[in-house]
Amino acid sequence: MKILIADDSRVMRQIVIRTLRQAGHGGHDIVEAENGRQALAMVATEAPDLVLSDWNMPEMNGIDCLSALRASGSQVPFGFVTSEGSEEMRARAASAGAAFLIAKPFTPEAFDDALRSVI
Amino acid sequence: MTAQAYDAPALDDLLWVADEVWHALLGEEEGLDRLDHPRDMSGGPVETVWSAGVSISGTWQGNVTVELGTTAAVALTARMLALGPGEAVADADLADAIGELVNMIGGNVKSLMPGPSMLSLPMVAAGRAAHSSDSVEALRFDAAWRGEPIRFSVHVPRS
Repeated sequence: MKILIADDSRVMRQIVIRTLRQAGHGGHDIVEAENGRQALAMVATEAPDLVLSDWNMPEMNGIDCLSALRASGSQVPFGFVTSEGSEEMRARAASAGAAFLIAKPFTPEAFDDALRSVI
Repeated sequence: MTAQAYDAPALDDLLWVADEVWHALLGEEEGLDRLDHPRDMSGGPVETVWSAGVSISGTWQGNVTVELGTTAAVALTARMLALGPGEAVADADLADAIGELVNMIGGNVKSLMPGPSMLSLPMVAAGRAAHSSDSVEALRFDAAWRGEPIRFSVHVPRS
């Protein structure tokens, strides 16, 4: 399985990769994007099986990336990993087609639960 | 610590958020020690203070700031990146790490307050945080991590 991780923070991308490993999902291929625009392009070139994306990013944010993916016909499973976990944000994520929203700070268990819903 | 007279999160909520972020980023064994008497954050002749902030705009408006010295910032970055002993911490990684720290705290503060609102991208600088004259400190707590002082504060528009 190939997972695309989109976050403008290199530190956070490393933490997400480490948490995936701690959650028992360390065997996947990982590709990384620094913003939503790069993630959008990489979905076409890398054909990931899952996108894990931050919400708040420069160039293109996560929700605009998801909307652009769905508008282009892509149905790649897409989950947010974001510091904003309010009901309003969860509702916006779900209505845009996100499979889940993991709020920071997160635990390996939260990742495992979320990934099991799409694997 | 300061209690707020303005529309801001409760002090206990900010403490809880900071603790949760700390444990998630650094590990359960790493904790913040709350300081009843704040330590000097001005920085000494060799210790630079770093500050990171995010702003929240919308139904509720405010700025969330974290300030800490270079010693704490370097240790925090090394821990977040799981660097080995002796591995150097680049300024870009340090800025990235403490920016993500304040982003998480700010995002959680946003979730505690009435919405809708927007969270800005984090701003990080070497030096104390400066706030405009039309804002006021609504909430602050001082803590120590590995003996180094760290300040968390929330500023809101002056009413």
